[in-house]
Order: sequence, then structure tokens, then C-alpha cells
Amino acid sequence: MSDVPAGLPKAWTKMLEGLKNWSRIYSPWAIHFNSGSCNGCDIEILATLTPRYDVERFGIKLQGSPRHADVLICTGPVTLQARDRLKRVYDQMPDPKFVIAVGSCATSGGVFQGCYNVVGGIDQVIPVNAFIPGCPPRPEAIIDGVVKLLGSLQQKKVAEKTG
Amino acid sequence: MSMDISPLLKMLVFPGGLTLIALGLLYEYIDRKLVARFQNRVGPRVLQPLADTIKLLAKEEVIPAGVIPLFFVSLPIIAMAGALTAGLYIPLAGFAPSFSLPGDLIITVFLLGLLTICIGLAGANTADRFSLLGATRTLTQLFSYEAPFLLALLCPAILADSWQISIVDTSVTGHVWLALPLFIGFFVAVIGLMGKLELAPFDAPEAESEIVAGALTEYSGRGLALFRLGKDVELVIGITLVSAFYLGGLSNPLEFLLKTLGLLVVVAALQALFARLRIDQVVGLWWRIGALLALLQLLIVVILKGVIL
Ligand code: SF4
Repeated sequence: MSDVPAGLPKAWTKMLEGLKNWSRIYSPWAIHFNSGSCNGCDIEILATLTPRYDVERFGIKLQGSPRHADVLICTGPVTLQARDRLKRVYDQMPDPKFVIAVGSCATSGGVFQGCYNVVGGIDQVIPVNAFIPGCPPRPEAIIDGVVKLLGSLQQKKVAEKTG
Repeated sequence: MSMDISPLLKMLVFPGGLTLIALGLLYEYIDRKLVARFQNRVGPRVLQPLADTIKLLAKEEVIPAGVIPLFFVSLPIIAMAGALTAGLYIPLAGFAPSFSLPGDLIITVFLLGLLTICIGLAGANTADRFSLLGATRTLTQLFSYEAPFLLALLCPAILADSWQISIVDTSVTGHVWLALPLFIGFFVAVIGLMGKLELAPFDAPEAESEIVAGALTEYSGRGLALFRLGKDVELVIGITLVSAFYLGGLSNPLEFLLKTLGLLVVVAALQALFARLRIDQVVGLWWRIGALLALLQLLIVVILKGVIL
């Protein structure tokens, strides 16, 4: 009696899950964090947000506050200075959250690999859902990465259904 | 059934509750789409606002350290309730308001203001400096546009000899649109509406490039969804009010759609046209120009009414 959701018919729960998943795929709000990038990747991300590529048609919206965001778009290698900040921004985001690492540096440390002040790629500090390689990746590549990430959500849904 | 369920239906389905929320989401979509088209973009999909809302509702709600949890949780609900209640007094979709009493114009404007006050308080409740700045700006802006906006809405009310929305609405129906003779008042009302909704030139309180997300920076999930929904509802109510008063009344659903959507196009165009004003510019604009214009219009209305009638 006390546990109402468990008492719901299975079809309902499934429908609600589907609705939630649909809304997540439909409306990924992003926040952009630069953890030590050379700014090349950031310029490409800004280019992605310009009217020419218009990501609002996918529902992607750049948010200022980590509390509002679903997707953390990281650029650049993680420097020792940025490590704690990156972690904090990640922790501030409410669940469910996703991380996209944009650029070779964010993937592996890139040209900054092995520098005295660099920890390495983003995945050394926080879990990453999608890597977008390139130095810097073109806006098309970034959009493709986001779409692939959303597509993986869709697949999870299908897997849940069959499983 | 001996119990009369029609007030309940009125509150939950039409015109309160569901209809208002659905219309709010639709109008938010149209507004965003229009702005996008004006900026030469494709713009969002039709169900975008709905998806945003559902997603936010399904998200985790973080209650940050340093807030009073009771206020943090209840303020969005109060804001949403205020906005929805205001919907009961307006001629939504061209039908007569479901509740009508003398002076409900003031109640409606106050209930719309309640939303803004809640946003301000919500910002002031958190310990985050961006929220505090946003809250200060929200409340400062509230004090600057509220008076001129109300004065602008009072002009048609004075002509109709009543502060009751439904009476004003029926009295202006069939006459020449008040926006033509009272163009100053119409101008102030439209700009005031944009200030109230914190749309583009007046969006200093949530300037994402300066203060993250303003008063709502710390809100995630449900609270944010409710505030956004409240804003959407406020958009519908504000546009309905202004078009009922200044665009010759709303007497049927078709007229309602045409007039409110027409007004929405104007609002969206203004949004796309102007860059953000600084908060001191906003206050200066309202008190130096807006309030004076509204008073001038009021004076003209009162004098003309005395001379002609
Ligand atoms: S991937 Fe290339 S453009 Fe991007 S931060 Fe590294 S060096 Fe700069």
C-alpha cells in the first residue's frame, strides 16, 4: 500500500519510463566547461551554437548553471588546477547526467599528455559517456557526438524492452 | 450526483489547470520558434517545451546547503498556484472568465506579480551569490515595471467604468480597437508585459552571460520545471489581458487565437530586435519614460472622458 509505484500496473511503469526517456532524448541541456583547453575546441563549440548549426532544433540548449544541465561538454586536458573544479561542477549536476569529452586533449590529454601540470583526459577525473576526437573537432562532429550519445539512450530503451 | 463538480472542472481542466498549462507550453513554443525564425534559425520542435518540462520533472532535485528547505520546496508551488489562479479571472479562449468579481483586474495583476516575487524570494533564499544578484535584479525590475503596466491596464478600465475584467472585455467589444486611440497606453502595456515576463530586452535578471541563471541558478528538476511552467502560464495570461483590453475584446475562440497570436508575433519581434538592457537602464527607462507615458495616457483618458461624456 505504501509503495504506490510498485502497485502500478507494469504497462504503466513502462509507459512512464518511455516518456521519461523520450523527454531526455528530446531535451538535452548542455553546460560547457573548459578544464585547460587551448580554446580551439571552445571556439568550435561556440560555432556549434551559432544560428548556422542551430542546435535548438535538437532541443540542445546551453545553460549557465550546472544545476540545469543534463550534458557536461568538456574541452581540453584536465590540469591540476581544474581537477577539483571539474569534479565539483560534475557533482553539482543533478542526475541523470552525461559527460561528453570534446577534442583529442579531452580524450587522452592530446598534445599536453605528460606535461608537469596535466592530469590527462577527462576520463581520469569523471566518467565520460562519449568521446569526440579531433583537434579541434568540427561542429558537425560535435553534433554527431551528441546525437550518438542520445542514440545510445534510445538503444538502452530498446534493450530494456526486449530484456 | 448531488455534488456540483463544475467548479472543480473549471479549476482543473478548463480554463484553469490543464488547458492553461497546455496553452502556456504551446505559446512558449511559438515564441521560441518565432524568435528563431527572426534570427534565421530553424528553431525548436513542437513538443520541445513539453519535453523540457517532463525531463525536468523526472530529474533529481538537489536541495543545496544553506537554504531553508521549506521555502526552497514551497516557493515554486506558490508561484505556479498564483499563476494558475490568475487564469481563472481572464477571458481565456474568448469564453467568459470562470470567476468574476469587481476589482479582479487588481487581483490578476497581483497574482502575476506573485510569481515574480516568488522567483525573487527563491533566489534570496539560496546562499549562492549569482542567485542573490539575480534576486536583487528581479525584485528591482518588479518595482520598475509594475506601476506603469498597471496604469496602462487601468486606462481601458476607466473608460469602461469598471475594474472587472469581464466588464471591460465586453465593453470594448465591437468598438474601435483601443490600441488606436490609446496607442501610448498600448505601447506601455506591451513593453510592460515584456518586462513582466523578463523577455529579451528586460532579461537582465537571468542574464546567463553575467550571472549564470539569475535567481533560479540553484534550482534543478521539479522546482525549475514549476517556475518555467508558471512563466509560460503568465505569458498566456498577460497576452490575453492586453489583447482583451486593447485589441477590441475577446468574444470567441477564433478571435482569441488571432489576437493573442498577433500580439505574440509583435512581442517575439521586439525580443529579436533589441539587445539586453542593463538593470539601471531598465529602471531609468521605466520611471523616466514608462511611468510618465502611462500617467500621460491616464490623464488624457480622464480628461477626454470628462469632456465627452
Ligand atoms: S584538441 Fe586541439 S583544439 Fe582542442 S584543446 Fe586540444 S589542442 Fe586545443
